[in-house]
Amino acid sequence: MARRQGRRFKWFILPVVTVLILFLLVPIIFFQIFFSLHQWTAYIGEWWQAEFVGLEIFADVLGDARFYWALVRSLIFAGASTVLCLVIGFMLAYLMREPFRGRGFFYLLFITPMLVVPLAIGYNYEMLLVQKGPFNQLLSWITGQEIQVSWFAEAVPAFLSIIFIEVWNWTPFVFILMLAGLSGMPKEPIEAARVLGASPLQIFFQIQLPLLRPVIVLALILRFLEALGEYPKVWSLTRGGPGSYTETMPVYLYITSWEHFNISKGAAVSYLVLLIVAAIVYLCIRILLREKRALETLYRPSA
Amino acid sequence: MNRRARRRLYGVGRYVLLCLWLVVVIFPLFWSVMTSFKPPYQWFTWPPTWIPDPFTLNNYRVAWFGELLDTRYIASANVQTVFPALVNSVFIAGTSTMLSVVLGMLLAYGVSRYGILSERTLFRLLMLRMIPPIVVAVPVVLYYSTIGLLDSYPGLIIIYVVTTLPYSVWMIKSFIDEIPIEIEQAAELLGASRARTIGDIVFPLVRSGVVATFLFILILTWSEYLMALTLSSTNISTLPVALSKYEGSTEGRLYGWQQALAVGVTVPLIVIGWAIHRHLVRGFSFGMLRR
Repeated sequence: MARRQGRRFKWFILPVVTVLILFLLVPIIFFQIFFSLHQWTAYIGEWWQAEFVGLEIFADVLGDARFYWALVRSLIFAGASTVLCLVIGFMLAYLMREPFRGRGFFYLLFITPMLVVPLAIGYNYEMLLVQKGPFNQLLSWITGQEIQVSWFAEAVPAFLSIIFIEVWNWTPFVFILMLAGLSGMPKEPIEAARVLGASPLQIFFQIQLPLLRPVIVLALILRFLEALGEYPKVWSLTRGGPGSYTETMPVYLYITSWEHFNISKGAAVSYLVLLIVAAIVYLCIRILLREKRALETLYRPSA
Repeated sequence: MNRRARRRLYGVGRYVLLCLWLVVVIFPLFWSVMTSFKPPYQWFTWPPTWIPDPFTLNNYRVAWFGELLDTRYIASANVQTVFPALVNSVFIAGTSTMLSVVLGMLLAYGVSRYGILSERTLFRLLMLRMIPPIVVAVPVVLYYSTIGLLDSYPGLIIIYVVTTLPYSVWMIKSFIDEIPIEIEQAAELLGASRARTIGDIVFPLVRSGVVATFLFILILTWSEYLMALTLSSTNISTLPVALSKYEGSTEGRLYGWQQALAVGVTVPLIVIGWAIHRHLVRGFSFGMLRR
């Protein structure tokens, strides 16, 4: 009986599929390709009158050093912030895995940063990090000497600051995942190891860490992919500056398409980035699918 | 050192480390809230003004109600009320979240009970979420301007539904999966129709989950900036876009006003997030982890 009705339920997916095809596949496949093969800017007139230039725009993008730098910066930015988020988030979760007084209080405050509107975080940090600003004052107090780093005037401090706000914003994400992983972890293997005389370090490295692996992989992948696409915070904090030292891929794309109004180049860059990211996502999805099975067998909710 | 002393040391050390991170978390939030209460001449000073003196609500009145205050300090201010943006935000975020949850519910139920899509296919749906929004922004803008959806409510709402759908499907599915299928089978054995089973048995059981999903997705749509910026010009600017309007003025940035707006936009999200804090893990991990 269930099967017969199941056929009727197939129609459930129809609206979703329609929306996806109409509003995601059509623009990506048709418009992206059209505009990356035709030279068009808003001044020319109607887009269908644009001149066909073949692969010229792609050649232009691939010859642009800025494109590669943006790509490299995005990867470094995403990689560094992911690792830092993971380390801090894991430490916090490990410290809080068992109940103690004030745990709920810490938990609520620790998750707050990821609830703040990202754009507001960028603006707020811009205030905090100005040369004669609160952050430098705080550093001066802690170190006991006058510190006035101009965070936005030089390459390295500016890049560090965008990594830092990403970490501030998204450590809670890793934290809650790790906490869920640690508290949902089966107790028996740990007890058994303790009885058999394993040291806490051995328990940590040989039992807890391996058991937590699927959760760690999940957090790593989701965080890395989100960081690759991070736009509002970097934009509102540095606008890619100084020069283009913090110009990650999304910022580069935005500047190309909406500051220079070079729509065709923007489309070509989007297309290339889409291919690169799709390859990364495909790989990640495969890894995730494998780890998901491990998650399901390990963390089956005990009902 | 005996065991007891070591435990105690661990307890104290834990508090120290946690408090350290707490300072890192609180400090920017503290600064943001304090700035929103500062009169203009304290927005940037050296050394920094930590506590506003006097506390003033003027920033909120300027940023939210568009009253012209503090003209002594800021000469060329062009302030407007943000109520249109607020209405837009509420309408767009609310409608798109509602649609996303309804579609997600249909899909999740179909997948969970009838296997209309394999888990693998559904997993691929996650790809939608993982592709950076900026990459599809250019083609979507061109497409929208061709079919006349640019700067319109349906345009933005559709994009939000598409980008949040993976979250809603996976989150609701994880709630439905927790209901034993035997309950439904029992109801059907007793002669309940399919609609009745879903309406009277399944839905009440997942209701709190659906509410949590709704609120979770509301957090995402409410704070979305990039699409709201690129797909709108004047008609449908949302609160995050209104927030970005405070930069690039001639006198430097209007920090106090901006922060008054930022605090007002963010506080509802924090309240919602705290209210559903038990479900945040489920949402962010696409239902793969739960507490």
